Amino acid sequence: MCFKNLPIEFDQSGRAHLREGIRDPYSVTVTKPRVERTDAEREAEIQHLMAANGHIKDINMDPVTRVAGALAVNITADLEQGRYLDARSQATLFRGYEVILMGRDPRDAIFVSSRACGVCGGVHAHASAYAIEMAMGLAPPPLGTVVRNMQEAAEMGYDNPLHLYLLAGPDYSEAVIKQVNPELWPKAERWSCPNHRHHGMKTMAEIMTALNPLTGALYREGLEFTRLSREMFVILAGKYPHPQTVVPGGVSSTVSLQTLNEYHSKLGRIFDYAQRMMGVWDDLAEFFFEADERYRQVGARPMNVVDPGYWDDPYAYDATYENCNDWGERRWSTPGVVVDGKLVTTRLTDINTGWEEFVEHSYYEEWAGDRYDTDQLGNPLSPYHPWNKRTLPSPTGKNWKEKYTWACTPRWDRTAVEAGAYARLQMTALAQKLPNNPFVEATGHSLRMHIPKGITPEAEVEWHVPEVWNAFERNRGRAYHYVFSQLVGLANLLEAYKLMKQGEKTVAAVSAGDLDRHMPKDERRSVGWWGAGRGWLTHHLVMDQGKIVNYQICTPSTINASPRDPWDQPGPYEEAVMNTPIIEDISDPSKFTSIDMLRTIRSFDPCMPCTTHVDTGQGTVVREVNTCSCGAD
Amino acid sequence: MAVRTAQKTPAERLLEVLGPVDRFHDRTELGDFGMPARAFMEDILEPVARGGPSSRMGPLEKVHAFWFAGMSCDGCTVSVTGAQAPSVESLVLGAHPGLPRVVLHHPVVNVESGPSYMRAHEMAISGELEGPYVIILEGSISDETRAIETGGYWSGQGEEPWGPDGELRTVSTDEWIARLAPNAAASIAIGTCATWGGVPAADGNPTGAMSMMDFLGKDYRSAFGVPVVNVPGCAPIGDNFTETVAAILYFLQGFGPLPEFDELGRPAWLFGETVHRHCVRGAYYEEGSYADEFGDPECLVEIGCWGPVVNCNITSRGAINHVGGCMNAGGACIGCTMPGFPDKFTPFYKRPPGSLVSTAASRLLGSFVRPLRRYTNDHLNREVRWDLNKEVPSGWSRESSAPTMVQEVGHKFYDRMRRSSDTGRSSGEVWGKREEWTYEHNPEREATQEQIDLAVTDRGKPTNKES
Repeated sequence: MCFKNLPIEFDQSGRAHLREGIRDPYSVTVTKPRVERTDAEREAEIQHLMAANGHIKDINMDPVTRVAGALAVNITADLEQGRYLDARSQATLFRGYEVILMGRDPRDAIFVSSRACGVCGGVHAHASAYAIEMAMGLAPPPLGTVVRNMQEAAEMGYDNPLHLYLLAGPDYSEAVIKQVNPELWPKAERWSCPNHRHHGMKTMAEIMTALNPLTGALYREGLEFTRLSREMFVILAGKYPHPQTVVPGGVSSTVSLQTLNEYHSKLGRIFDYAQRMMGVWDDLAEFFFEADERYRQVGARPMNVVDPGYWDDPYAYDATYENCNDWGERRWSTPGVVVDGKLVTTRLTDINTGWEEFVEHSYYEEWAGDRYDTDQLGNPLSPYHPWNKRTLPSPTGKNWKEKYTWACTPRWDRTAVEAGAYARLQMTALAQKLPNNPFVEATGHSLRMHIPKGITPEAEVEWHVPEVWNAFERNRGRAYHYVFSQLVGLANLLEAYKLMKQGEKTVAAVSAGDLDRHMPKDERRSVGWWGAGRGWLTHHLVMDQGKIVNYQICTPSTINASPRDPWDQPGPYEEAVMNTPIIEDISDPSKFTSIDMLRTIRSFDPCMPCTTHVDTGQGTVVREVNTCSCGAD
Repeated sequence: MAVRTAQKTPAERLLEVLGPVDRFHDRTELGDFGMPARAFMEDILEPVARGGPSSRMGPLEKVHAFWFAGMSCDGCTVSVTGAQAPSVESLVLGAHPGLPRVVLHHPVVNVESGPSYMRAHEMAISGELEGPYVIILEGSISDETRAIETGGYWSGQGEEPWGPDGELRTVSTDEWIARLAPNAAASIAIGTCATWGGVPAADGNPTGAMSMMDFLGKDYRSAFGVPVVNVPGCAPIGDNFTETVAAILYFLQGFGPLPEFDELGRPAWLFGETVHRHCVRGAYYEEGSYADEFGDPECLVEIGCWGPVVNCNITSRGAINHVGGCMNAGGACIGCTMPGFPDKFTPFYKRPPGSLVSTAASRLLGSFVRPLRRYTNDHLNREVRWDLNKEVPSGWSRESSAPTMVQEVGHKFYDRMRRSSDTGRSSGEVWGKREEWTYEHNPEREATQEQIDLAVTDRGKPTNKES
């Protein structure tokens, strides 16, 4: 059904099994994806061009600024034809968080793993809590899940504008456009914004001026709104980053009527701003596409996307792996995998079964584990699955043919998939499994959202699944994801009021004192499927005798920043850069800034801090995290 | 200046392995690569950020600030973007009287990328940079000498032609710190990783992670003679950092007092108190009331709060914009500002052993104090007239709202004590005031109702009669 590379089939009850008769089905030489182009072919073309024209530039952008964390991208550019011939994404930091977690009491994991990323500063704590409570069998009470959803809606409220205005925005600002795309400026001055009435700016030039770093009105307003959403977050979680109220089986937030009312008052200020944000990013995309069709190719890559879903239904989520397909599909944002634009599954077990992580081009020793052949339900697992994974860090010299990054290479069904906040919109729109609610509706090809009035009148907006994910669609998707997340926040706030009306006060499954009693002594495996500002986030946990024996974090930026896989398929950043035309004026090669590549990379909202690894304590390091999509490891 | 210890610091050992550097990127060859604005951030912002003498109120026109994210999660950066007192944009734009502009070189802020971003760092090393500079580190320092042995690195930022033969090699964050610290006006560590070591340095640490102080050594002094300044917290409160920077700048400009730092280099005015002393739940402790379930409103000590022994100001300052704060929201303190974090506070969600003694004592004390407080609180929730009428006019009140006889006697006794030194009760004649008539306050009726006299006195209204 959903797998085309891995030899996995399904029986009538939907249980997966390996196709019979294949010896060593997970060997990278046995099961291979169809690869368009090998590195050898790419290299041959570069050599050929080098000989033919003298305009090949091989240079490393280290660091790429205005991304979270440490990222470098090496490019080989043909300055005559205006093409990026090759790109190598490098995560340049390793910290070893999973190593530090191994051998600890599981109660340590939430607050320790939270420190994997301070940009996605709340999501790791929650993902970890999901993993621990699945292992311990602690299902949060409804109010616990609702409060988590409210926290995480607020986190997205901070995360999306931070990216759009502080990180991505300056690439489209007057300060930059006048220099690298001077031909666009006169047009921008004349171009009337279709969404003028939503954001108040008459021409594109006004928008671009407002995007200027630090001095621009949109930049500064974006910063202010990240603060407002963080205020909403800390009302419930104490601080940001690194919330202090996340516990196994729920939260420890003291939820009073004042708590809810304060959250409500702050949330109410957001919807006007959300309309402005969508208008700005809609207009920017339209302006660039109209000015030059080639902008549709900036950052484009095949539509292969993955997301594990986000924000649970408080009445469906029971913290079990056994029922994860049921509660997973009832999430506010539906889990799913899209391959070549088609939604191939919405089941969490399929997502888990197809997941593998490789280290051929990463600063780790290779490994393959065979501890678990199947998951708890009997679905097959790869030796490269996180539950089987070991991390053996080994810092060595950089070599494109061998190792060049601290990030590893996650793949689903041996396909390079991409993660992003916009993936949530896509899965949810295509799957049409949204919970009943008055605010968001999925049509199968779009999401229709009803935005309550603020000072701006109420509005119905519709986000359409784009034909291709490119830099502009990613940014536009993020702007719509902002309002989506805030509507989820509103729906959950209303649920919290309802629960309060019913006298519900319990926010956690058990008291702190009872955690001891609930600590299982046998071996348990679990996973927290969650999301970050950049999409996908998982924490895979194995515990035994009440102790963490393996801990693996996979972040969205690990996925997106991944290097080549064993079959030379480039990671999403690499592939997107190679598909990007060089549009800036390079008639004088010394004027080459590489802005088109920078716009591509930043459209993914890279977040590199989450990367990392683990140590077994006997000198070996077991794999741990990958990073928060933060990327790298 | 302290006497130098004989042992080499990790920074000195690293530089010994790496050797000196004398060459940098070739600007001509780079062209505009990584410079989409064809200008450095400093130059883009200068027209707005540069202040005249009457704005800056002191000798400094600008200060460069090099921000390094070592083995960090970028959480300190995120915290600082939330600061309001002053905000990061105020610092960078020099937008407060008395602030010089802070020329920030920050990987998350700057428009220039790649080797062009590293340009100012190179200039600082070669002494070409105009104006003083400070270095700021978030994240721990890794032990790069271990990674160098196998030809790699743990934590890199940029490449420089510093290999043998001038080939490009990844420069570790540590190397930048080691090269820039000696001539920096100040070296500031932000966050628990950089100040003490933090989570990357916790038990099981595979990278040799350590703090900035550990790296630079006890004898380190900046060019201005200052040891490493430490603003801890995981993540720290953004305002704690920006305020510390501003306080140092106000001092350098000549109008601020010398900021005081404690024996660990923390801003003493921010970290001198325990977080419990300003905790909104602190009084529950005093009354011996403790949260049992997660989410309960009482003191959190018994669900794992270390607040009484942790130096932090989040309960008084809030997390951002005076909102939030761990215990305010229901989060137990796990000591994230402390050198002992995390290993001296784990496992989390478990009461600190030391609290056994103190909570038992406060439970005992609380069992006396709580009823007495409730007793007085009941009295204060009644207007004087309601005492007289023996009825509370609120539709919300229960029938039993009237005090019992015993309570009433007690409350009267309490009021006597309260007013025992009230000079409003002296015999001085109030000749400037006329007795006014209201429906309830009728002097003629009053003369016949002694009870009212007493009540009026209790309200604090002077009368001609001494009660």
